[in-house]
Amino acid sequence: MEGVLGLVAGMCLLAGVALARWLVQPGAPEGGPPAVPAAVARHTARWRWGGVITGLAVGGAAAGSGALGRGFLLAAPVFGLCVLTGVVAGELTVRPPGGRTRAAVLEVRRVRDYLPRRLTAAVLGAAAALACLAAVTTATAVPDDLGRAGRGVQLACGPGLVQTSGPWAGSFYTLPLAVLVAAGLVAAGGALRAVVGRARTGTDPATVAADDALRRRAAWTVTGACGILVAVPLAGLCVVSAGAVLSLFCRPAWVTVAGWALLALAGAAVALLSWCAAVLLAPGRVAAAALPAR
Amino acid sequence: MSGQAPLLRVDTGDPTPPYEQLRRQLAGLIGSGTLAPGDRLPPLRQLATDLGLAVGTVARAYRELESAGLVSSRRGGGTRVTTDAPALSDADRQRLLHQHASAFVQQAALLGASEQQILGAISQALAT
Repeated sequence: MEGVLGLVAGMCLLAGVALARWLVQPGAPEGGPPAVPAAVARHTARWRWGGVITGLAVGGAAAGSGALGRGFLLAAPVFGLCVLTGVVAGELTVRPPGGRTRAAVLEVRRVRDYLPRRLTAAVLGAAAALACLAAVTTATAVPDDLGRAGRGVQLACGPGLVQTSGPWAGSFYTLPLAVLVAAGLVAAGGALRAVVGRARTGTDPATVAADDALRRRAAWTVTGACGILVAVPLAGLCVVSAGAVLSLFCRPAWVTVAGWALLALAGAAVALLSWCAAVLLAPGRVAAAALPAR
Repeated sequence: MSGQAPLLRVDTGDPTPPYEQLRRQLAGLIGSGTLAPGDRLPPLRQLATDLGLAVGTVARAYRELESAGLVSSRRGGGTRVTTDAPALSDADRQRLLHQHASAFVQQAALLGASEQQILGAISQALAT
């Protein structure tokens, strides 16, 4: 178990170093045309960073509060929820157009026009993997040696011989996790609607393009927060489950394969986490690098 | 809809109610073919937010257009221009253009504007 945790910690460290190197590299193009409506950009960025800082504080407090590692598992969804709340608050408090004469572009704005396709697909895939894994681990969980429900897994090694291993991601962990992740995904949907529904900051083509860049940046932030909200619990569940099944002495071969597959999935979740962290810290930079020049 | 998206303008100081200003502009865009059959109109909330109007104001404009058979609304499908929306002929379009130009020139003359000033105002409006 210590070896597995060391492996994941090493991967996290490598991902962090790679992310830090990428973030400090000079010369990457800035997102959006030059005439970005500065006031709206500043306003939404203040709220977004407020959400990130609040999320770090609240998530940190959550990590230290839960019993038996439950706080650690719930810290990322709490962080993601705070970031999403910051994005929603920023978008909803942008002042609507005033004055006597008002103008609007005759257009239909859709959420999918602003979402990063590949990152969204990756986050949705991770969410589906998390849901499937949590369902399986919850269904197969048994009480641990102290009688706490949903903290162990059992394997029959022979007639009258049963081995119990843990910790296991049963209902003890997955129920509060499911509530928080579901709340986070609903909040993400609301945040995306707020991003798309916010009033235009102007109607001339340059301002519309700049405004679209701002919306795209916000949509990338929402997707990044969602990714963190999903990737950290997925990595945690994978590592805990793999550790539990690989410590069963009488395991059949397919359980060993499943254990290593879970570790591989944890690695993928860590990679997704790095991607999402980069998007969250520098959404404009990532969006500009990913989008073709216009 | 092709090319650059058209603009909708609402003057809240105009005695014409905002919903009627919107209705007229949208009916004009449908009649001129700028909005083709099947084109989707902006969602009520989006257009109301962009114009700083109440959702009910935009909803009333859409209802009037629906009553005239120019658009149809479907739950989940938004509001779209109907396939049998009457389109303006070239002659009708020309006639309307002259009608609007005459009305503008008449108003400008009442203000005491010279021909040069009227042409200047039109150039300025075209540039914005």
